[in-house]
Amino acid sequence: MEKNILEHGLNVNRRRFLSRLSLGVGSLAFGSLLIPDLFRSGGIEDELYQPGVPHFAPKAKRVIYLFQNGAPSQLETFDYKPKLCEMQGAELPASVRGGQRLTGMTAKQASFPLIGSFTNFKQYGQSGAWISDLFPYTAKIVDDLCIIRSMHTEAINHDPALTFFQTGSQQGNLPSMGSWLSYGLGSENKNLPDFTVLLSRGIGNGQGVYSKLWSNGFLDSIHQGVQFSNGADPVLYLSDPAGMDRHDRREMLDNLAEMNHLSYQEFGDPEINTKVQQYEMAYRMQTAVPETMDLSKEPDDIVKLYGPNCLVPGTYAANCLLARKLSENGVRFVQLYHQGWDQHGDLPKEIASQAKDVDQASAALVTDLKQRGLLDETLVIWGGEFGRTSYSQGKITHDNYGRDHHPRCFSIWMAGGGIKPGIVYGETDELGYNVIKDPVHVHDFQATVLNQLGLDHEKLIFKHLGRRYRLTNVSGKVVRDIIS
Amino acid sequence: MKSSFKVIGGHVLFTLNIFIIFLLLFENLLVLPYWLKAFGRMHPMMLHFPIVIILLSMILEYFRFKPEYVAQDFYQKFTANLLLTGALSAAVTVIMGLLLSREGGYTGSVLQWHKWTGVSIVFITSMIHWSRHLGWYRLQVARAAAIITSLCLIAAGHFGATITHGDNFILSPVTSAEKSPVPFDQAIIFDDLVKPVLEKKCASCHNPDKVKGKLLLTDKESILAGGKSGKLFVPGNPEISLLLKRIYLPAEEKKHMPPAGKAQLTEDEITLLHLWVKHHGDFNKKVIELPVKDSLRVLAATLLKSAEPFEEEFDFEAADQEIVRKLNNNYRVVYALSKESPALAVSIFNRSTYSVKSLEELSPVRMQVVSLTLNKMPVKDADLKQVSQFENLRTLNLNFTNITGGGLKDLASLKHLQSLSLSGTKLNFRDLLQQMRSFKSLNKLTVWNTGLTDAEMRQLQNSNKNIDIVTGFKDDGSNPIQLNPPSLKNSSRIFTEQLSLDLKHAIKGVDIRFTTDGSEPDSINSPLFTNETILKSNLTTIKARAYKEGWYGSEMTEFTLYKSSFRPDSMLLLFPLNSVHQANGPKTFFDREMGTFNANSPAWANNWAGFKNYDMALVLEFKKPVPLSSVGLNTMVEPKTGIYPPSEIEIWGGEHKGAMKLLSKLRPQVPAKESDHIIKVFESSFKTKPVSYLKIIARPLILPDPKTSKEKKMLLLIDEIFLN
Repeated sequence: MEKNILEHGLNVNRRRFLSRLSLGVGSLAFGSLLIPDLFRSGGIEDELYQPGVPHFAPKAKRVIYLFQNGAPSQLETFDYKPKLCEMQGAELPASVRGGQRLTGMTAKQASFPLIGSFTNFKQYGQSGAWISDLFPYTAKIVDDLCIIRSMHTEAINHDPALTFFQTGSQQGNLPSMGSWLSYGLGSENKNLPDFTVLLSRGIGNGQGVYSKLWSNGFLDSIHQGVQFSNGADPVLYLSDPAGMDRHDRREMLDNLAEMNHLSYQEFGDPEINTKVQQYEMAYRMQTAVPETMDLSKEPDDIVKLYGPNCLVPGTYAANCLLARKLSENGVRFVQLYHQGWDQHGDLPKEIASQAKDVDQASAALVTDLKQRGLLDETLVIWGGEFGRTSYSQGKITHDNYGRDHHPRCFSIWMAGGGIKPGIVYGETDELGYNVIKDPVHVHDFQATVLNQLGLDHEKLIFKHLGRRYRLTNVSGKVVRDIIS
Repeated sequence: MKSSFKVIGGHVLFTLNIFIIFLLLFENLLVLPYWLKAFGRMHPMMLHFPIVIILLSMILEYFRFKPEYVAQDFYQKFTANLLLTGALSAAVTVIMGLLLSREGGYTGSVLQWHKWTGVSIVFITSMIHWSRHLGWYRLQVARAAAIITSLCLIAAGHFGATITHGDNFILSPVTSAEKSPVPFDQAIIFDDLVKPVLEKKCASCHNPDKVKGKLLLTDKESILAGGKSGKLFVPGNPEISLLLKRIYLPAEEKKHMPPAGKAQLTEDEITLLHLWVKHHGDFNKKVIELPVKDSLRVLAATLLKSAEPFEEEFDFEAADQEIVRKLNNNYRVVYALSKESPALAVSIFNRSTYSVKSLEELSPVRMQVVSLTLNKMPVKDADLKQVSQFENLRTLNLNFTNITGGGLKDLASLKHLQSLSLSGTKLNFRDLLQQMRSFKSLNKLTVWNTGLTDAEMRQLQNSNKNIDIVTGFKDDGSNPIQLNPPSLKNSSRIFTEQLSLDLKHAIKGVDIRFTTDGSEPDSINSPLFTNETILKSNLTTIKARAYKEGWYGSEMTEFTLYKSSFRPDSMLLLFPLNSVHQANGPKTFFDREMGTFNANSPAWANNWAGFKNYDMALVLEFKKPVPLSSVGLNTMVEPKTGIYPPSEIEIWGGEHKGAMKLLSKLRPQVPAKESDHIIKVFESSFKTKPVSYLKIIARPLILPDPKTSKEKKMLLLIDEIFLN
């Protein structure tokens, strides 16, 4: 009897199974009607991205990035750690280091003695930010700055860390931040490139910069960074060769464009049109560049503001002044690199000299943009690729010590471009080794920069080799707390 | 009929369950047609049915296994059907809710809680429906199921009500609700900034129920009255005010406020109270009445600012894309502010192509232009009439244009203008001051480098307190800075017969003072450089400094210039060079390219020829005999990295290859191991001799290696040889 009942249950279940199955499939089918793209080939397509127009109204129109190449120590600049001076010479506690991998330069060191800053710090401005005595001019404009003390990165050596900052990947060959902006925002002045690069070096221990840092990667080559050098020809091969005048040049370009047009009609390669555009822009740059690079008309106050070196081509000060001129003329992204911040040894002497190179001119740039009413729409960024260790590399002597690479925390500052002025964001522990409050990852930083320019870092994408690429790869979060 | 309801109802319930799971899985991909939106919007109406029906059926379910009810057929059937009806209505309600939530405007954790409690009601009631007649479903299970379902119902209902009516809807008349942030331009310093701090941090002890120290901090009169220890503050004088004194006391002090154990004031709150007292503890003043750069106003701006990014909405239509495209050319860029925005920004570049037509042509988009950049264009006062057509303009950049202020009256009609940049123009102060009144929305004006005097700028700021007048940097001579040293502009530091010295300084009007005798130059005794100095000696060291009124004199700079009168016609090294310092072979010594320090770094090693394992033995030949009297070897010395001068230099010469005689022999001093690096010429002089063949021999120094105590050859680096 009981068996029969069980049997009956099973029979019913088979029928019920089929009828239920049909009902289930039916309801799925009904639901699928609500997803228009479900069965379209290629799956769910992204919203077609239209480059050259911001996703939302931007706060900033342009960026000037003062990259301090070699990684300045946060402990002698913006992250005040009196505890390190108290504990000078004491061993770095293993609990603080937390088994972190170190570079080959100090990994084999028998001891890791803590070392405090040789220079003093004072508080400045409304925000009461602590600034080291090496940066007297920066201290004066501290109420225009947002100092982030809780940056952290993934790389521990210069080239990967730089590449990570600039392209969002340690490996290279991806588009640089400036190229992404050029792609996302389009040109503001068609007589100058959207993305320019200026180099300088101090006497400190230096690290190389390579043109891959301003590469357009897989983006169209018009988005590539153009390096301006400090010789007679700021942009190489721009001036007409001897014996060729403007008229001849124009005629040559017209004929060339005609031939290129024919070739485009035959092959349909869009790179051909890009090339024509580039020739045309180079032609216009022949007048725009000398006009922009001319420093002779700058008033005396400007020379005093940036410091006397601003008239010596190739110095950081001169590059800051040029950066302002380029930015003022609609260049979307001006990238400066100042080399010489890699203080593994002889830190006190070298960092003082590096700070002297950059302090006055960096502060001057912010002041100068402000007095032209341009700071609101220009984002200025100052910082290196990682920080430096709170323990000494090599022996500590009275006036000499060094610091190794440290990716876990470092300080940068931003000014203008809709970033909250006069704040200090994030905190590190007493020994300046780990971030303890409001960490900002490099991808968060990149997302924030894009956000200020009206670009959603999750939507600024380019499909290449079958996958979608972003500057922030698959992470990054806009740091809302520092946005005004 | 009832049994068929049970069967059909069961099928429908199953279908709806699957559908709900589907909706949950693909929630983000749904695109709703309009008629489904209407269906979704019935959620708030429908939801009342499941609440009542399920609640009722759960009460019945709870008592279902009571002996007296087990026997009642109606009770059992009624409960079963009521439960099924409830589950069905719940499923329909959940589907509606899921559709409604896709309409946007619904976010946050409350919605998530509402969604998942609602969905669980459907799943639980369905499970009860399908399993309530199975053997394991007994009294305990029934009761547990009834209680869980009822709790879910209450929770879902509560969260739903919160979404619709806001947080704390029921109790808000009882408790005082949180105030919404006050707009910046309406905020009153005391009411909106100071009072909340007092309420939060002080009023727990200083209120009418608990008047500690006879001090009440809840209303204006009591605050002014003070407490047992006297008045609370001296207007305008925070340093001697009791309030601040108590706050600033160290936390361990007994009289420190707030007392230990209570919530302490934050830095911002202390600054706020300090500044409020400094501003005379005013109770009615608004934040915007403060000057723009006032510390309290700056602080208030950060405290009052909402975290959400603010995007201005424009009430005009977007311009025709095609028109915008046509207005773009190589020297004028017209671009949309963002994808959704109708607003346009315009930048015009290139002085030579600008004319007032560049502005006139923009009239088709005159409504849409909100930002206009005319920086450095030759814009005249009259052109501003054209600018006035852009009635929605917010930002106008006229830096370094040719305007004088007379035309600013044309801009008075721009009632939205917020930011005006006039830096670098030749402004007429009277015109500017007069026009300022007509700019109603203006909040920022830049007047740097306009020729306005400091007094005029102050007057401008005083009569326009709401506008941030940016005056910028002006050198008033009170903070002189140091000049940079002069530089040498001669193309090469090596010359053949004579050289006209060319010292330069990038800054106009700088005096260069210099010496050639090795003494330090100063601003009084040393000769002024005038482009007339001719150098003829074999070796001249120039020491120079730059001076200018209003600057500190520069650091000293030093240049060495070398004469090399003769150049051999052929040159040959008898022994090989050190492998990493090959430079340009024997030609290196006469290529006039100087090396610099850091010789071991490959990029800079190019100009240094190095000798280590073999001696330097260089044979030179002149087609015609030359009258030679000295040979100088330019050498780097850097003992710290093992680079030393040679131990010995021999110069052999003569008119025939086979008959060279020793002309000179020199033994340079061995420098100390710690000495600083230096680039130095070792010069061998002798009586003038006609020479066709010359042989120069220099031997690397041999020093004992401190580690092995064996002898070791030191590196010798030479970049140039000077023959005179």
